[in-house]
Amino acid sequence: MKKADGLRRVVVTGLGMVTPIGLDSNETWASIKEGKCGVSRVENFPLGDLYIHIAGEIKGFDPATHVKSKKVQYGDRYSWFAGRAADEAWTMSGLPTPYVNPYRACCIIGSGAGGYSTVETAYRDLFIHNKKATHPLTLLRIIGSSASAHVGIEYGIKGPTFATCSACSTATHAIGLAYDYIRNGLVDVGVAGASEAVLTYGSMRTWQAMRVLSPDGCFPFSKKRNGTVLGEGAGILVLEEYEHAKRRGATILAELMGFGMSSDSKDMVNPDIEGPRSAMQFALEDAGLDPSEIDYLNAHGTATALNDVNETNAIKDVFGEHAYKMAISSTKSMHGHLLGAGGGVEAGICIKAINEGFIPPTVGYSDPDPKCDLDYVPNEGRSQKVRYTMSNSFAFGGLNAVLVLGPAPA
Amino acid sequence: MDEVATKIIEILKKHMKEPRDDISLSTPLTDLKIESLDLAMIVFDIEDKFQIEIPYNANEEVEDFKTVGSVVDRVKALVAAGPASADAAKA
Repeated sequence: MKKADGLRRVVVTGLGMVTPIGLDSNETWASIKEGKCGVSRVENFPLGDLYIHIAGEIKGFDPATHVKSKKVQYGDRYSWFAGRAADEAWTMSGLPTPYVNPYRACCIIGSGAGGYSTVETAYRDLFIHNKKATHPLTLLRIIGSSASAHVGIEYGIKGPTFATCSACSTATHAIGLAYDYIRNGLVDVGVAGASEAVLTYGSMRTWQAMRVLSPDGCFPFSKKRNGTVLGEGAGILVLEEYEHAKRRGATILAELMGFGMSSDSKDMVNPDIEGPRSAMQFALEDAGLDPSEIDYLNAHGTATALNDVNETNAIKDVFGEHAYKMAISSTKSMHGHLLGAGGGVEAGICIKAINEGFIPPTVGYSDPDPKCDLDYVPNEGRSQKVRYTMSNSFAFGGLNAVLVLGPAPA
Repeated sequence: MDEVATKIIEILKKHMKEPRDDISLSTPLTDLKIESLDLAMIVFDIEDKFQIEIPYNANEEVEDFKTVGSVVDRVKALVAAGPASADAAKA
């Protein structure tokens, strides 16, 4: 079965998440339904002189218990999250290990920063502790393609395997590329998403120096918002050509219907309306949907002063009157800003919203900002039929990527 | 103009695309065409020059950063309060 444009249809048959509010997709979703916030005081390393003390930190993650593969356990923390999320997604899909047609599968798992905690440990060893050598696995842990390689090895994937890197749009670009490969016939199956683990002293100092973090919490679209809150984790999907999934009797979670990408080509930090607007429009055109058909939009919603107003204005441009009718939320209010991994988790949340008929809230919302005047589903989620959803990712440098997801084909 | 003000104006000029010579204490920062990332770099340079820590958040409108004179006053107050404790976590 092909779409009107002659391209093959792509469905989601697996979903994996590791987030500050759950170590798998069901636990994360249960937290979202409760409106639970995973932002808390950092405990995994000494805060020292940092004046930002909070993050969406994953507490008590033990690779020996939480990561199945011994090989992945030897990787960086970012690979652990990717390994665990991929394992959940692949197991859910019911695809065989190793995959039977290895060159017909791709593995695209990105990261904004790769093995950041390994870099920091190695540099402390060299420059502070004057050690003679770094750990022999240091290089392999650091490289930003190690998670994709690890996961590809786990499932015997021999087709296109690499990482994407586009800051906060990383996962969305990865998923969009795998979608393109499948619908154009290059492969039939794709593991795609991203992982991020940059909660270290040195990394937080770099974010602190940019002056964009909130010392209080992540409050998207509220007037009181005063910056974003870093998070960590992974969000990974198993994508599959529709007929391929149907033939093997797989449970289809959703259809990936549209992908749009653009670049502002303007400024490293100040977002533009045209770029996000174009990416949303391209994704809708690709999906063949009218803007009025979107029931739920998972916003980029970082809780910075600039993003939330700019995104609101771009949404109004694309959706017109419907912008005021559709439900929009930023789940970053609960899991924090997972940077490169954000789009993977948020696409997964859109799929859950469709499957469960529930719209996630924007928690911690109070004190409405007159410049952000849409329905952000404040504080409590809603049970409601959800058919078509959109997930926005807008990154530093003006790199925009948008997905449109809908229900499993009838 | 005193030494602190002179040094701060030098830092501001370094980050302006079109540096000008008519900057006074009453000049509003908005007149200097400084964007958010430039301001983060200016704050960084000021912190480095005076060995202080300025709790500046790019997401907030801060009274302390309205005019050149208000920045100078804030820096003088922070310098008087003593040097920042640069005690990095050495785990």
